[in-house]
Amino acid sequence: MTTGNPGFATPSGAEADPPRRRASLRGAGRWVSRVARKSGTPLLALYALVLGAALGLASADWATRGGYPFGGVRIGPWTAWPRAGSNQADPYTRAVNARRGEIPLAVGEGLLLTAAEDDEGRALDATCAYVVAGATPPARAWTLTVAGRGARDPQRPHLREGFTSTEILRQPDGRFAIVLAPDAEAGNWLPTPRADGPMRLALRLYDTPAAAGIGSLDRSVVPTITRRECAS
Amino acid sequence: MIRLVYATLTGLVLAGIVHIAAVLAIPRLSETDAVSKARSSENLDHPQAIYTIATGAAPAPPEAWLPIPDPAVAVGVCAYDLSDGPMRVSARTGPLALSLAAHGRQGAFYAVTDQAAVRGALDLVILTRAQYDQALADDDENEPSRDVRIVAPGERGFVVVRVIAGLPSQRPAANEAVRAVSCTTDAPADKS
Repeated sequence: MTTGNPGFATPSGAEADPPRRRASLRGAGRWVSRVARKSGTPLLALYALVLGAALGLASADWATRGGYPFGGVRIGPWTAWPRAGSNQADPYTRAVNARRGEIPLAVGEGLLLTAAEDDEGRALDATCAYVVAGATPPARAWTLTVAGRGARDPQRPHLREGFTSTEILRQPDGRFAIVLAPDAEAGNWLPTPRADGPMRLALRLYDTPAAAGIGSLDRSVVPTITRRECAS
Repeated sequence: MIRLVYATLTGLVLAGIVHIAAVLAIPRLSETDAVSKARSSENLDHPQAIYTIATGAAPAPPEAWLPIPDPAVAVGVCAYDLSDGPMRVSARTGPLALSLAAHGRQGAFYAVTDQAAVRGALDLVILTRAQYDQALADDDENEPSRDVRIVAPGERGFVVVRVIAGLPSQRPAANEAVRAVSCTTDAPADKS
């Protein structure tokens, strides 16, 4: 175990100026080789085992914490997760679902699209106002919801978390515009879930043919997310 | 020094093996996954509501364990254990969009919406391969069964019922529609 420490210490020592770094590196190297020579094979084997177990478990935990690491399909600012709920999901997606107790939408049921950034790639921020506008891929029903990170702030009035395709106000051509802003506005106003911090939009398409052929979706059929202004 | 490098490399290779093994083992060992959590609904005749939409002043109750639920969709689960016999899920279609999805340990293996209903009824029977063969053999030739029969990949899993409330006024009806679905175990003895 002790032999592992100098190996980890050298990268942090890289911040120091070159001569001293070289000296400390040489010192650490000498120390490590001396310990390695003295301790012999059992300690080295133990070191390898501990290193393997610790790194392996830590990386597995890191990869399956939070969102799905891969399997997403980018469409403009949105990411679609067509296989998150199917039995062809990759092992990481399956592990994420198992850890969170998530029941993802199955392929015949619907499709989840998420967005954490606007059209220009800036992270969605709760202090800014956004316009989510356009059309959605064909679906029997859809819902567009917003969520902040962590639990809901109990101080904030619980007004609305999202819109459904039935209740939304549309323009004559069938397109819509949702204003996601901290302050109330006319039209489809969606209050920001928190006073500040990152936000995430989720567009769930129910009973949609798009789930089967994700390749048919492009930027023109998903809503755009445009940042309007930010309270400093 | 060479030996230390050798040991570190061995450790890294081991780390890779442990990583892969851990990721593959998580769904199997997890006690917080949906299959394990749904198990408490196994003896119910109706779906256990896991997300009830907030109606009026009443907020969504804390029984919800979906991490990011859709606030307009009522969700219920029926767990099955096919060693007790096939499970039958019966839903009556109503004005609200309803979908059923069958999940096993590996993920969803079947989903159907109320648009597939025959005369307003949706009957889904989840069974094992052996039970499926038995059901086929027992079928009356003159009166073919209208059940949708699905062979499950494993013995345990659950069926998710989702009902979408398009308008806030439809929310109580959506919660009610989830509760109105019936999930029963077909007794294996009722074959003639």
